[in-house]
Amino acid sequence: MRTVFSRQDKVCVYGITGRYGSFHTKRMLEYGTNIVCGVSKNVSVREVHGVPVYNSLRNFFEQHGEVSTAIFFVPSQHIFEAFEDALLAGVEKFVIITEHVPIHDTLEMVRAVRRERKVLIGPNCPGVIYPQERLKIGIMPEKYFKPGEFAIISRSGTLMYEMAKILSEGPGLGLCLGLGGDPIVGTNVAEAFEIVKEHGFEKVLIIGEIGGEDEVRGVEHALKIGFRPENIYAFFAGRHAPEGKRMGHAGAIVEGEKGKVWYKERAMIQMGVKVVRLPWELERMVI
Amino acid sequence: MKVQEYVAKRILSKHGLRVPKSIFVTSYSEETEEGLLRLGFPLVLKSQVLVGGRMKAGGVLFAHTLEEAREGVEHLLAKSIKGEIPEGVLVEELIEHDEEWYISLSVDRTLRDILFIFSKSGGVDIEEVSTREPEKVIKTTEITDLPKIVQPTAKTLLEVFLEYDLTLLEINPIGVSNGVLYVLDAVFHVDDNALFRQSWVKKSNEEHFVRLDGDVGVIGCGAGIVMATIDVLKELGFEPANFYDIGGGASREELLKALNTVCSFSNVVVLNIFGGITDTLEVAKGIVEFSKSNPQIRLFVRLSGTHEDEAREYLLENGISCTSDMKHLVEELLNWRSGKVGENRVLQTR
Repeated sequence: MRTVFSRQDKVCVYGITGRYGSFHTKRMLEYGTNIVCGVSKNVSVREVHGVPVYNSLRNFFEQHGEVSTAIFFVPSQHIFEAFEDALLAGVEKFVIITEHVPIHDTLEMVRAVRRERKVLIGPNCPGVIYPQERLKIGIMPEKYFKPGEFAIISRSGTLMYEMAKILSEGPGLGLCLGLGGDPIVGTNVAEAFEIVKEHGFEKVLIIGEIGGEDEVRGVEHALKIGFRPENIYAFFAGRHAPEGKRMGHAGAIVEGEKGKVWYKERAMIQMGVKVVRLPWELERMVI
Repeated sequence: MKVQEYVAKRILSKHGLRVPKSIFVTSYSEETEEGLLRLGFPLVLKSQVLVGGRMKAGGVLFAHTLEEAREGVEHLLAKSIKGEIPEGVLVEELIEHDEEWYISLSVDRTLRDILFIFSKSGGVDIEEVSTREPEKVIKTTEITDLPKIVQPTAKTLLEVFLEYDLTLLEINPIGVSNGVLYVLDAVFHVDDNALFRQSWVKKSNEEHFVRLDGDVGVIGCGAGIVMATIDVLKELGFEPANFYDIGGGASREELLKALNTVCSFSNVVVLNIFGGITDTLEVAKGIVEFSKSNPQIRLFVRLSGTHEDEAREYLLENGISCTSDMKHLVEELLNWRSGKVGENRVLQTR
């Protein structure tokens, strides 16, 4: 499994001719990401910010060989088709930014990446940033991600930027994975810890939220594979969310005790993990 | 989103499952009466609402005569259940049965797969059965783990689950009569994200906005940051009035819509914007436009992220102050409150 992210990654942007695709292609290029091509159904556009555009990744592959990674900005209606195109062209790592992906499409994609031992980050996520490698496969504002020792595993997008900003003023950041806010995501917290471990980071901040029990299971797994509890920090959003109401993210809904913030925090504390209650408390805790 | 029972049953019937013979009534007429007589008696009358606990709230009645049926239908048509006005009344033949079973399909977050739950102790709250007598409940991702007699039904349900993009399909109870299975009730939840290919349902956008009890309006871009803002406000003794996520990549119009919604119940609005995919300059334009026509609304603005320098400058030019981080935003709120009530300004957890 090639799960390691690095500046060597050759990246393809699906939906490169769209408003967001084009905008973020420029930002990723400026940051240093090695974007080699884009894919779009809009055949009238040949090039976006100097990046050649194809109507299928296979057409690029036949001339120039494999790309390792694909990032998707295509609308949710077409995401599955785009995913299959990338899968057939041999892509190893998929980052799906698109929100509102039908859950059955996500389930199909998760089955495919599990079967073929590939990596899917998202959907409905901010993507991946790795400051040491000047690699950004995502939409995060890069200036808040200064290189350092902390990995981030986050279910939330903007909240990841918030916490990154705080960490950037202190110990700095390593590999940051935005897993996404849907109930079913390609990479869960446990798998994210595996990826973080492969990259050699020991300190991790988890940004979780109400709903499900992924964070708790993920930390249990992390401790089994050698992470030390005192090196893990956890912050949860939604302490005051009313029960049974969906708070924006499709996955952010309290159904039963296990989905509640106090339950998750208590489980974290029992495992020896440090719980951050207010965002700016983190500043003090990591110094 | 949820689907009415009569719609769910029509779909299941179309796919070959046995449902009671029925008519759907939205107003009582001669035609209704002919329908009732064709069904015969006794009948079950079921209010078509989406809220749970319909039975306890008096939304299900039985009728043994035409007179009882007419009264019952008219009563249910006029009766709201837990505040919900029914879409109509489903009138069904009463199916005599010996046993009540339970079956459901759902998307399991941890397994990341479709989960079947089956029990021969149906007709009641399955969570209770599961806690009290877990050996009576089968939870599996494989149809072949279910009893043979229910496998064909389960197979059909799986087809429906996939074809109609459902996230929950629950039959509680399945009525069993001489080895024949009847769908006596049906709950469908359809995936909101798949409505573009499920034209038989209409879209609601409840997920972006939730009304809470307090008085301080909250708007942000991204569900996580909005939840965290609400949490911080609560910790500091404020009472948030709502949850409103304008989402990633929101435009000036979307922000205006949010502000207009929130200002209808709140005079103080906190905007916590950290733009990744969102262009904060667009947001700033929306804020200025809103503020010009609603000067009485007190806004507390935090803007960071894409185009933040231009956005802040634009706000300042138009006389609106803003901060660049959440802590300062909260300090401003505390200052404002202490100005109002003269209390000490201390930034700490309650």
